[in-house]
Amino acid sequence: MSTLRSLETEGLTKSFGGVRAVDGASVAFKDGRINALIGPNGSGKTTFFNCVTGMIRADGGRVSYRGKDVTGAAPHRIAAAGIGRSFQLCRIFPRMTVLDNMLVGVRAQGLVHRLRGGHNADDIARARELLGRVGIDHLERSEARDISYGQQKLLELAGVLMTDPETIMLDEPAGGVNPALIGRLGTLVRELNAEGRTFIIVEHNMEMVMSLSHHVVVFDRGAPIAEGEPAEIQNDPRVLEAYLGV
Amino acid sequence: MPSASSPGVSGRTGFDRALFGGKALLLVAAGALVLAFPSMAPDAFILSVGVVIASYAALAVGWNFVGGFTGYISLGHAAYSGLGGYATALLIIDGGLNPWVALGVGAVGVAVVAVPIGVASLRVRGASFVIVSIAMVLILLLVSQSWAEVTGGSSGLRVPRPFDEDVLRPEQHERFFYLHVALVVVALLVWWAIDRSRFGMGLKAIREDEDKAQSLGVPTFKYKLVVFVISAFFTALAGGMYALWFGYLDPIFQFSILIGSYMVLMSLLGGIRSLFGPVVGAVIVGYALEFFKNQYGDTQFHLVALGLLLGIVVLFMPDGVLPALGSLVNRFRPKAASIREESAAELLERSEQPRQAEEVSR
Repeated sequence: MSTLRSLETEGLTKSFGGVRAVDGASVAFKDGRINALIGPNGSGKTTFFNCVTGMIRADGGRVSYRGKDVTGAAPHRIAAAGIGRSFQLCRIFPRMTVLDNMLVGVRAQGLVHRLRGGHNADDIARARELLGRVGIDHLERSEARDISYGQQKLLELAGVLMTDPETIMLDEPAGGVNPALIGRLGTLVRELNAEGRTFIIVEHNMEMVMSLSHHVVVFDRGAPIAEGEPAEIQNDPRVLEAYLGV
Repeated sequence: MPSASSPGVSGRTGFDRALFGGKALLLVAAGALVLAFPSMAPDAFILSVGVVIASYAALAVGWNFVGGFTGYISLGHAAYSGLGGYATALLIIDGGLNPWVALGVGAVGVAVVAVPIGVASLRVRGASFVIVSIAMVLILLLVSQSWAEVTGGSSGLRVPRPFDEDVLRPEQHERFFYLHVALVVVALLVWWAIDRSRFGMGLKAIREDEDKAQSLGVPTFKYKLVVFVISAFFTALAGGMYALWFGYLDPIFQFSILIGSYMVLMSLLGGIRSLFGPVVGAVIVGYALEFFKNQYGDTQFHLVALGLLLGIVVLFMPDGVLPALGSLVNRFRPKAASIREESAAELLERSEQPRQAEEVSR
């Protein structure tokens, strides 16, 4: 395990009207591990994700990644820093082909790079390799809106991988997905983690969380209430209370 | 597409090759027809209609840089064509520049002006952007009407002609027809080059889902701004070229919502996702406009007719004429492709089974 610091937040706060969706959340995720972020509905997990990745601007607090302050950075800067993310309701580019979907996400740098052909051989080879890895390379010429929801989820993950992120944030990867595919996603996450990629996963599927993750952070009312290894978390009274209201 | 390596993906089929050949043939035929048009036109009026249509095509292709790539619908692009026209005219009249130099310098100036406008307006999306884009035209209309000592105000501004007095009217039309066509060709080449680049891939991703594109590392705001400025530049060139041809500018026609709406209508009608969509749209709308104006004279009925045309297109060909034709042609594609896709999906299902078993056994 690497000693590098991964994603950290300090007192992160975001309100919508009178609702404090994220309320002074200070969290440190572990580098090189599979981190899970769990909590009841409305506990602020997705808002937390969106604040960290710059999709929405936090009202207060700090975000740092590998020791570098990235508070308030725009989403493309977060991506350039090496954090890739998926969305809760899978988001792909519906009217582009599967292959073109892949070619959007390239960690582009510099003017010459941007003026290069969108269909250059290097990118296509990488895209095909990743599509093959998630098992949908035979669909590369289909429009993304024509493939199944499960395949779209795989495409989204493969698209994120095109940016070669060191850290991957997945927002409910198992949501609306059949059990076979959940298994497939789990295997992929494990493989990618073994290659050194850090994961931060928001997930409601407890079976997946407990079998997959090394470290679990539990959110309630916009802030972490407990963290630890899956086994510890399962027996933590605060967690049971937050989930079951006992 | 060199993609024969993966199962289920066929390389270029015979049908694809035939389609490509057909398209190339069509393009050559259309090009020949355009080049021959001035010599085929029976009289100067028809020739001038040709110039108007070519001018519309230049405007629509200019508009389609921002509309087609990013999906941001600007109803106010008349601001840039109008500014291009006035800049060209004033640089000739007050600056004493050569007309063609004035045209280029004017367009560059408009592009510079478009930077702050883009910075302000591209922060909002969807309907809000449409409203903001209209605001710009209305402001310019008021300014150009009131600032009479520079723009000539409501009495208009006469633009000096770039060609000698002894070049007769039909000859002028012919030259300007080719000049407009050349401008369209240059704009199309630039559009095509962007379409093929990584920059273009990012822009199209913005059209599909802007937040998602940004999360994948596309600097969306910068991309939108660059393409917006390119769009303003080409629209200004088209406006300047029109001013040189028509020889007279009136604020009410230059900074008109109608001109901006025509650009949108033509591009939507032809298909904003396709290279030649705006050109096809300009030919249809331009011809229809002139035809209806001719039929119904000074009434506003040509606008009603145009509105009906737009309604029909939106109902039956929401993606435009060219994509509709494309999918029609695709119906004749050999059926194998779709069957292959289905069987490939089944293959995936099967390949998942062992992995699932592996998961369960853990």
